[in-house]
Amino acid sequence: MSKTDTDSRSDTQTESQPLVDHTVEGETSEEIRDEWTNYDFDGEAKLSVSELNVYYGDDHALKDIDMEIPEQSVTALIGPSGCGKSTYLRCLNRMNDRIKAARIEGNVEFEGKNIYDADANLVELRKRIGMVFQSPNPFPKSIRDNISYGPRKHGDIDTGLLARVLGRDDGEREERLVERSLKQAALWDEVNDRLGDNALGLSGGQQQRLCIARCLATDPEVILMDEPASALDPIATSKIEDLIEELSEEYTVVVVTHNMQQAQRISDQTAVFLTGGELVEYDDTEKIFSDPESQRVEDYITGKFG
Amino acid sequence: MSNASERGVHRDHSPLLPTVSAGVVGLSFLTFVLAWLVLFPILTPSTQLVGGVTFYDVFGLAMLLCGVALVGSGVASRTGYVPATPSATAGVTTGVVLGVLGFVVTGLFVSQTLGIDGPMGLGWFLAAFVGGAAVFVATVAPREDVGSTVPIGAFALLAGLVVLLGVIGDSWTWNPSGLAATFSGDMAVPVVALVVSLLTAWAGAKAYEGFGARGRQLGAYMFVNLNAALMLFVLFVLIAFIVYRGLPGVLRGAAVGLGTGPEVAFGLHLPFDVPFVTNSYGLRNDVNGVLPAVFGTIWLVVGAVVLAVPTGVGAAVFLTEYSREGRFTQVVEIATNGLWSTPSIVYGLFGLAFLVPRFGNSASLLAGQLVLGFMLLPLVVITTRESIKAVPDSYRDASAALGVNQWQTIRSVVLPAALPGTVTGIILGVGRIAGETAPILLVTSSSMSPFPASRFVPRVLSGFQFTAQPPFVTNTELLQASSALPYQLYALITAGVGAGAGSDADIDPWSTALVLLIVVLTFYAVGIASRSYFRRRLQE
Ligand SMILES: Nc1ncnc2c1ncn2[C@@H]1O[C@H](COP(=O)(O)OP(=O)(O)OP(=O)(O)O)[C@@H](O)[C@H]1O
Ligand SMILES: [Mg+2]
Repeated sequence: MSKTDTDSRSDTQTESQPLVDHTVEGETSEEIRDEWTNYDFDGEAKLSVSELNVYYGDDHALKDIDMEIPEQSVTALIGPSGCGKSTYLRCLNRMNDRIKAARIEGNVEFEGKNIYDADANLVELRKRIGMVFQSPNPFPKSIRDNISYGPRKHGDIDTGLLARVLGRDDGEREERLVERSLKQAALWDEVNDRLGDNALGLSGGQQQRLCIARCLATDPEVILMDEPASALDPIATSKIEDLIEELSEEYTVVVVTHNMQQAQRISDQTAVFLTGGELVEYDDTEKIFSDPESQRVEDYITGKFG
Repeated sequence: MSNASERGVHRDHSPLLPTVSAGVVGLSFLTFVLAWLVLFPILTPSTQLVGGVTFYDVFGLAMLLCGVALVGSGVASRTGYVPATPSATAGVTTGVVLGVLGFVVTGLFVSQTLGIDGPMGLGWFLAAFVGGAAVFVATVAPREDVGSTVPIGAFALLAGLVVLLGVIGDSWTWNPSGLAATFSGDMAVPVVALVVSLLTAWAGAKAYEGFGARGRQLGAYMFVNLNAALMLFVLFVLIAFIVYRGLPGVLRGAAVGLGTGPEVAFGLHLPFDVPFVTNSYGLRNDVNGVLPAVFGTIWLVVGAVVLAVPTGVGAAVFLTEYSREGRFTQVVEIATNGLWSTPSIVYGLFGLAFLVPRFGNSASLLAGQLVLGFMLLPLVVITTRESIKAVPDSYRDASAALGVNQWQTIRSVVLPAALPGTVTGIILGVGRIAGETAPILLVTSSSMSPFPASRFVPRVLSGFQFTAQPPFVTNTELLQASSALPYQLYALITAGVGAGAGSDADIDPWSTALVLLIVVLTFYAVGIASRSYFRRRLQE
């Protein structure tokens, strides 16, 4: 997973004239940006995004994003508020389709097939690419029903009347699934004695972990998380961070965060978006935080703007 | 002194103003209640109380006392004798309200009492205008403590004097020219007392808190509460009156005890018997009853709900979740609103023209169910749409992100969350259709006596018959004409007599009304219980 340090042009650009790239003006030239965002890694890409543009009406929210997301790792997305991180994340499981004003151009390949193809199966896609939203949104149902909602609707678990009559009740499997998911999301100890209670009675942080558990219960391959820890206290946050690291052994995780330390702690690679909807730099997390190529990224990371 | 508490967090505890104003509020409240009791003729105003005092005197004295106390509080506060925190003015709104009152009072006084018409009959108008303007200025110009007490106090004082001195009293009548109605003293005095007591209660509440923002808050609170009390009171009196007039008729011949009631099954009898409800009409009955009409009404409502709820909810789901907001949904929305406000006789005419000829050319229960169902349908659509729109999009997003398709999302997340709203709509709608008379008259009961014999009790459940050929299911009971409670009530009222000729077996309209009320309230209770069940499922 090393950057193309043999590329001499990039070296001259960054070393001999470190400040020359119109950094103050904002726009970075396309060539250089391509260079900075061309992240080379070992292994397979789970998702590869190319020439992705998103418009909300006339508002150009994401500009020419090219990005490959390696499998079984944690990718952090950072950037100032309103730069398009959530928009980008929603493109990866086509949740942007649900926003009327949004227009999406470009390709997102998931295991080699473009998810924006006309014949893509949205239901199947979202089953395999799960999502945890920026604000917790449990259903007004019991904790148990929240977790088993997905599998039930997919027909993986059947506890309906007919199944019970035919003796094919999956009640036990459901309990096991609920327990496993809640344990993975570090919520089991707090709620195991009240699984039948309404999820809206949980605290904000507990609700967020419930949403994570709900997402895990459908057994996705990719998990998209939009600031999963923004409503949590330090203890719950560190639980979630542990969880994310654990998940990356099996799953591909893409996580939006505003917290630089968190990005450094949990992610393998980091993508920096800056105002205007550009992906400015994408590299190993260590490299981004110790020695970013772009002056604007450095300014953002060190807190000079953004 | 008034400056001392201007910025204080706690009220200055000088007890004089609060005590006096609390007295004003209490007295106004009593006057208010008394005025209603007199208006509804529960009490007779000219009743002699102790020492020859009548209710007229009580009203007069109460208004006089409130007036004096209010003017006193206003002046005391203005001169700084009692502490208060008034604003600079009582406000334009108060001024306009009191000004209109002043306009009416001056106008009535000049035109009716003095009999002045002036040039082209406009003299009284000019005088009234001047009077109203004067009251407006007197309210708005001075500081709040004077502006919101002295005009009201003066008005109360004046009204109190007029009533006390017997200017308007027992023998007073007023025949407004151009109106056929005659107003008498026992009507005018309580009405005046009502208006005055509302105003004095409001002003008293303001004074209690020493005027200013806190005073206005309490004044508004007092006003709103008195109005709420008024509504409840009217409702209570209505129901109490129906029960009072109807209950004896309903309980005629009623008995409680083992085996007294009609047989239910296997030789088991109900432990009570209310012949008015369980009997039909028959020449040999001791007590004629309304059973056919009760069943008719129940089956009409059940049929209408069964027809309207699935179709209405389906239409609402389609309009809200599937079709895009646009010209089409706008047109449908206007149409549904229009249908809901269409007069029921129009629905009845439609049923008579289109349904009755298709159901064997005779009035039938089914035609009534369909017509009432069509009436209920728009309300179900409207309320379901509104409650579906109120379901947060985050639920739909969460469900979609789990890979659940739209229909499953609607069924398992959106509809359960919208259900309580739908039930509210059904409750409101049932209240309307259960009492509907006009369409029933045309399509269900036209060929039926309002007081049918027991063989005309619609027995819908046992009426189903299954056949081997299409349509496979038939129900002759549904195609029979039927009586219904509102229809019976209408017949009783227009005929002016009961079913019999003044004998004991007569059916009293009030008793029918009471049974109708009980049937509707039972539907309400079922609706409210199911709504709270659905709500609890969302919250617990
Ligand atoms: N539904 C929408 N309709 C119109 N414009 C939108 C919509 N959602 C986002 N935008 C716009 O797109 C841009 C990017 O928004 P986005 O939510 O992706 O930002 P973000 O990086 O996630 O910000 P934050 O860190 O505050 O969550 C913003 O300028 C925003 O105004
Ligand atoms: Mg965001």
